[in-house]
Amino acid sequence: MTLSERMLKIDRRIIFLVIGLCTLLPLLYPVGLPIKISPEVRSIYDYIESLPERSVFLLSIDFDPASKPELHPQAIALLRHAFRKNLRVVAMTLWVSGTGMADQLLTQVAKEMGKEDGKDYVFLGWSSGGTAVIINMGQDLYKAFPSDYGGKATKGIPVLEGVLSLKDVAYAISLGAGNPGVEAWYVFGKDKYKFELGGGCTGVIAPGLYPLLRSGQINGLIGGLRGAAEYESLVGHKGRAVAGMDAQSATHFAIIVLVAMCNLFYFSLRQQQGRSRELPVKRGH
Amino acid sequence: MIFLRRRLPLLITMITGLLFAGQYYVPHPSSELLLTSATKWLQIIGGFALVLGITSLFHQHAVKIRRQEAGWGYSFVLYAGVFVTVAAGIFARGKESFEGAMTGFGWVYSFMLVPLQGTMFAILAFFIASAAYRSFRARSREAAVLLVAAVIVMMGRVPLGEYLMPLSGDVSQWILNVLNASVRRAILIGVSLGAIALSLKIIFGVERSYLGGGKE
Repeated sequence: MTLSERMLKIDRRIIFLVIGLCTLLPLLYPVGLPIKISPEVRSIYDYIESLPERSVFLLSIDFDPASKPELHPQAIALLRHAFRKNLRVVAMTLWVSGTGMADQLLTQVAKEMGKEDGKDYVFLGWSSGGTAVIINMGQDLYKAFPSDYGGKATKGIPVLEGVLSLKDVAYAISLGAGNPGVEAWYVFGKDKYKFELGGGCTGVIAPGLYPLLRSGQINGLIGGLRGAAEYESLVGHKGRAVAGMDAQSATHFAIIVLVAMCNLFYFSLRQQQGRSRELPVKRGH
Repeated sequence: MIFLRRRLPLLITMITGLLFAGQYYVPHPSSELLLTSATKWLQIIGGFALVLGITSLFHQHAVKIRRQEAGWGYSFVLYAGVFVTVAAGIFARGKESFEGAMTGFGWVYSFMLVPLQGTMFAILAFFIASAAYRSFRARSREAAVLLVAAVIVMMGRVPLGEYLMPLSGDVSQWILNVLNASVRRAILIGVSLGAIALSLKIIFGVERSYLGGGKE
């Protein structure tokens, strides 16, 4: 077996080890390279900045713990920004398995920013029906969520004063890890009830949302851990996303090097096989 | 019987399909009221779908245990997981914390579901790296183009890439915003036209496979 063949059939545990080290070492010894802000993340930040105080900001936390590393920092940074701007925060989720996590993160950030449940924010929780919940909220918010996550009747909660449906929301952001997520909020929400919509998503699904961004169907997009790190930098409160960027840089580079190596060995093997095929032909002559 | 099994569902589909396709364009209060009640119905039906899903899952795993198929022990784990979580949820009245203290249900969520789901997603990175090493080869001209685009985007999305190759960020933005967005849009338009055609076929009874039961 030649070197190229051996390298192409390398034990995958070696690759796992390389990726593991590339993730672990930068987390232990951070470098802190500067993060460039992309226009799609800045437009979300600028829009929230432009909102008047006590405007209604809806955050739909449409992900489960599987996508926590990427979307949790996005949610924290957005909530910090919204609370700092003194907006009325209405949070909810379309993913049942994300309910507990969403409640924890909202409570944590609200406590940190000195905000009061019911007065400054409300967590509506989860309601069955998937995308139908969005339409129902567009028709009548209190029919979609008769009570909040804590079991309190939503009618009469001070933070929801003057809010009847999605039409009264100044800005909504869906942090989606799939369906229902950003796309569903556009199709069933923004398109019909005419509120401004932004999106946040995992790195894997971000390229799929660029058509919505380019056509103005969403006004901004926070993509993956990178997007979260950009938002953390804008808010001026660097957290887990910024810390994770060094690890992501290292793993991306490890994958690039691995792919380059695999192609190098692949072409070298092809060349060797080509030469060995030519030899018997020459001998035959 | 044929009326109840075939014609009535087709009639209901046609009437509701046409009604709600038209409803979107009528902003009258009664039209909005109709949508409100319909979505409430959808939410209730969505709740039933959960029951249906759990029943189907239980049935599938009961069969696996009865036949003692490969990995049938895991089906026991599934049953145990569901029953323990449901019991913890009922005991805690669905609350993850009560007066600041974590309930059993909250413990199951925070210390079992969250790390398990996180782990499942995190190991993807290792498998993606391994798969990339084994299969991301420039076997053809198209594969080479894909490879170069992937490398540029991977570099442009991380600070180290932008630091080493300052242009990679802008090129990666251009790839995502122009090439990727236009191709995705073309696919979206195609899929949407297909969905419209399929919806019309269902509404007018041309496509009947959703009724089940094979041919009449």
